[in-house]
Amino acid sequence: MLSNYIKIAWRNLVKNKTFSLINIIGLATGLACFILISLYVVDELSYDRYNVNADRIFRINSDLKFGSIESKYAVTSDPMGATLKKDYPQVEEFVRIYSSGGGKLVKKGNEYLKEERIAHVDSTLFSVFTLPVIEGDPQQALTEPNSVVITASTAIKYFGTTNALGKVIEANKTPFKVTAVIKDIPHNSHFNFDFFFPMQNLDYGFGTFLSHNFHTYVLLKEGTDHKAFEKNFAQVIQKYIFPQAKQIMQINSMDDFYKAGNKIDYSLMPLTDIHLRSDRVAEIAPNSNIQYIYIFSAVALFILLLACINFMNLSTARSSRRAKEVGIRKVLGTERKGLIGQFLTESILTVIISTSIAIVIAWLVLPYFNDVAAKTLSIKDLLNTRILVWLVMLPIIVGVISGSYPAFFLSGFQPVVVLKGKLSGGMKSSSLRSGLVVFQFVTSIVLIIGTIIVYCQLNYIQTKKLGFDKEQVLIVDGAGSLQKNIDVFKNDVSNMPGVVSATVSGFLPVSSSWRNERTISTETVMSVQNSFSTQTWGVEHDYFKTLGIQLKEGRNFSKEFGTDSNAVIINETAAKILGYKNPIGQKIYTLKDLQSGVMISYTIIGVVKNFHYQSLRQNIGPLCLFLAKTDGYAAFKVKTSSVKSLIAQVETKWKALAPGMPFSYRFLDGAFDEMYRSEQHIGKIAIIFALLAIVIACLGLFGLVAYSAEQRTKEIGIRKVLGASAANIIAMLSKDFLKLVLIASLIAFPIAWYAMNKWLQDFVYRIEIGWWVFVLAGLTALVIALVTLSFQSVKAALANPVKSLRTE
Amino acid sequence: MIKISNLEKIYRTEDVETVALNKVSFDVKEGEFVAIMGPSGCGKSTLLNILGLLDDPDGGSFVFAGQEVAHYNERKRAGLRKQHIGFVFQSFNLIDELTVYENVELPLLYLKVGADERKKRVEEVLEKMQIMHRKNHFPQQLSGGQQQRVAVARAVVNRPRLILADEPTGNLDSINGNEVMQMLTELNDAGTTVIMVTHSEHDARYSHRIVRMLDGQVVLENVMI
Ligand SMILES: Nc1ncnc2c1ncn2[C@@H]1O[C@H](COP(=O)(O)OP(=O)(O)OP(=O)(O)O)[C@@H](O)[C@H]1O
Ligand SMILES: [Mg+2]
Repeated sequence: MLSNYIKIAWRNLVKNKTFSLINIIGLATGLACFILISLYVVDELSYDRYNVNADRIFRINSDLKFGSIESKYAVTSDPMGATLKKDYPQVEEFVRIYSSGGGKLVKKGNEYLKEERIAHVDSTLFSVFTLPVIEGDPQQALTEPNSVVITASTAIKYFGTTNALGKVIEANKTPFKVTAVIKDIPHNSHFNFDFFFPMQNLDYGFGTFLSHNFHTYVLLKEGTDHKAFEKNFAQVIQKYIFPQAKQIMQINSMDDFYKAGNKIDYSLMPLTDIHLRSDRVAEIAPNSNIQYIYIFSAVALFILLLACINFMNLSTARSSRRAKEVGIRKVLGTERKGLIGQFLTESILTVIISTSIAIVIAWLVLPYFNDVAAKTLSIKDLLNTRILVWLVMLPIIVGVISGSYPAFFLSGFQPVVVLKGKLSGGMKSSSLRSGLVVFQFVTSIVLIIGTIIVYCQLNYIQTKKLGFDKEQVLIVDGAGSLQKNIDVFKNDVSNMPGVVSATVSGFLPVSSSWRNERTISTETVMSVQNSFSTQTWGVEHDYFKTLGIQLKEGRNFSKEFGTDSNAVIINETAAKILGYKNPIGQKIYTLKDLQSGVMISYTIIGVVKNFHYQSLRQNIGPLCLFLAKTDGYAAFKVKTSSVKSLIAQVETKWKALAPGMPFSYRFLDGAFDEMYRSEQHIGKIAIIFALLAIVIACLGLFGLVAYSAEQRTKEIGIRKVLGASAANIIAMLSKDFLKLVLIASLIAFPIAWYAMNKWLQDFVYRIEIGWWVFVLAGLTALVIALVTLSFQSVKAALANPVKSLRTE
Repeated sequence: MIKISNLEKIYRTEDVETVALNKVSFDVKEGEFVAIMGPSGCGKSTLLNILGLLDDPDGGSFVFAGQEVAHYNERKRAGLRKQHIGFVFQSFNLIDELTVYENVELPLLYLKVGADERKKRVEEVLEKMQIMHRKNHFPQQLSGGQQQRVAVARAVVNRPRLILADEPTGNLDSINGNEVMQMLTELNDAGTTVIMVTHSEHDARYSHRIVRMLDGQVVLENVMI
């Protein structure tokens, strides 16, 4: 029976080549899209689940508000983990990771390599996370100072073998003994380090609860409710944090602190939520966003749905052609059930062929997709059981979904009616077809609008006046390795032709540079009312000139005014918070350090215009600039047409002054664009999906018009006999479909407007959605539809009427 | 009104060449009623299609209302066609999706006749063909005779100077057939030129003159008395 079904199904596919091709190409495209996105989503959802205890590991998050600004941190204070373990039996273990110290220079032969993926951790790392050890004893590996744990590929990089136990690694001129080699950390981990150094080797003022710098993870005992556990933080705050806060500021109780509008709040975030649901200050690495997972999944389903709709549309459109076959079969005694089986076999067969093609397409496209989505997915991941189940189920599900309507529709024909002549009830199905075409175009138009808006916003970001000059600023990384030669390097490079000015600082207006937050007060004794937290940067005299930052009032740091070491320049936001009518000459105070409680005073000498030192997703926060040497980067404003040779000269200079140290450079505008990587990915992905959706929708349209032209061959012939011109015929064939595209536009506009407004809310600085976007998207869809239609309608309109009337 | 001389039409398919018209020449005067007869496949429909400007000849000359039209392009032919010519077919060729009224209205739409004038003329001709009471029906709901009356109504609604009918009674019984012949005669009496292809000697007797064809050639013309 089944083989008979398949045989007939195959013959039908071959007989109707155009329709079969449109169906198969459309479905294969939709399925390929679905496969790619499944790979992506499954990968995103798998983050950190390699940990055996994933469901019991939590990261301590800190929400702090002091003064005007609330910050949500992914880090907490250094004693927090140990305190929780000591006071609460539910905490089985904890581990701290410190990764914000910048990279280390590691010696390899006679050269130094800058290693960025390094962390200082507690020896309990291996008790919390599942990091399989190849060599060494994980429990003892990080208990002694000057030990180091490295990954397998790092061992191979430095020693040519994973047999590296006991070997010595020289990092920042200090020797460390390799005490364990672990397997490389899986790519789907929210942290990915090559070197783990012990906490003892970290130079840090341990012991204060008031400074938040450590990623801290706790392993809770089986059966502990982490939400309930969070209630204990109130106790910790009262018992440990309040006494320390009291030492440095005037507060009598935590209530005073809260009443002044401040906040200190800790919470536990499940490990498996970090990758998709955490976007906090000081993440180990930028995370992904669950929203994009939802959007991508929805888009994948929609595209698949579009392809299924084509299938249904074309099959029902073809129905009257097959009506006769159905009538004859029924007269011969075939039951309805048998007919449904026949039609479903046909559609499932089509889907199986399409799925095979889709897998090939996905395999071919994967490298590009990886590129666009910044992933390292492999087609082998398809063998992942979860996806495999889907791959087997999908053809059946899609086949049944897209085949069932035609199957029931066709099998329901009354044989007498069908055989007697024309099929009535065509009206009902054609309005359903129209609905489905509208749905396809709604999807396409929404995607077109989305794409346009994403690109407009990206363009807006790239061209927005930022308050500083990001063009032609060359940044040399790791300026610290020049040590005492740093000024020589700066001067020598600024004397090169083509270099306008130079400055050295760790703080740059791109988020990949240093940041330092401190609390500033307007009086000598700090209280909750008179203080606020702000960014505090150390810069040189020529900082503003090099970056093109403009002074609003007052003066720049200047060598004519002695050392200016007690001078501060603030930005407009800080001036507004301070509230002075004339801020110049006013004093501000800050703690020398957290332990002593000694206050130092600074005099405001200038106010700079606000510049965007963070992403445009955020408002410009307060900023205080002090005259200080911070040797993170050397920045050069250049004005030359031969950038290449200039860089070569700078590199030569570097090699002479910092022998053996790695030279690396970038441009400020490039570093700026980095901040919008994820938006750029989204933009590219949106374009691809919009294109796919349109291609599929147009394939469907193409098929439908071909069908309707074929159906109306005779009518077209008659009309031409009666004097219709080719233009009349084209208009007649296109009009109905274009009407559908117009209706689709009207439905798509509000949906797109709502969705894209929501997306734009992520940006504090954003574009207004102009009406032209909608007009453009509508016209694009219309033109594309028109071109698609014209292929068929022109052919039909030019056909010789005599021939059309002969075919009967 | 029509003057054809040495008209040729050759159909080429992959390997066979069919000479459908072989140097056909004859005249039709304004107001004449001509019947074309001949065995199946002799080229009657081919000739009629060329006379109706639906198809172009491969050779010879065709003068229609004083103009040489043999080499007119499709656009020019369509222009003349919708102005001056009405067609009636054996298989009626009504558009199934349109009502009787809409079918008849169609030629006027292509002639860009105003709405009021259209209504007046469609109703007038439906009245004349006695099909007015069926104006909102679809072709499928009519008998063959009624359908052919609608087709005739449609052919004459633009007041053509020439009506071409290809076996108009071929699908009808004798009563309905006679009715259609009656109508064509009335139209001819009112001054319209009629050229009709037919297999029926009975129908041919309504005409003034019979052109007999064989294998793509005119073999005989006899005038009816
Ligand atoms: N499109 C075409 N391609 C090839 N040959 C054609 C075509 N149209 C007509 N012919 C051939 O031309 C010849 C004349 O055909 P035509 O239709 O004019 O015959 P007819 O006299 O109208 O016949 P009938 O009385 O059966 O309608 C026939 O041999 C036919 O096979
Ligand atoms: Mg014929």
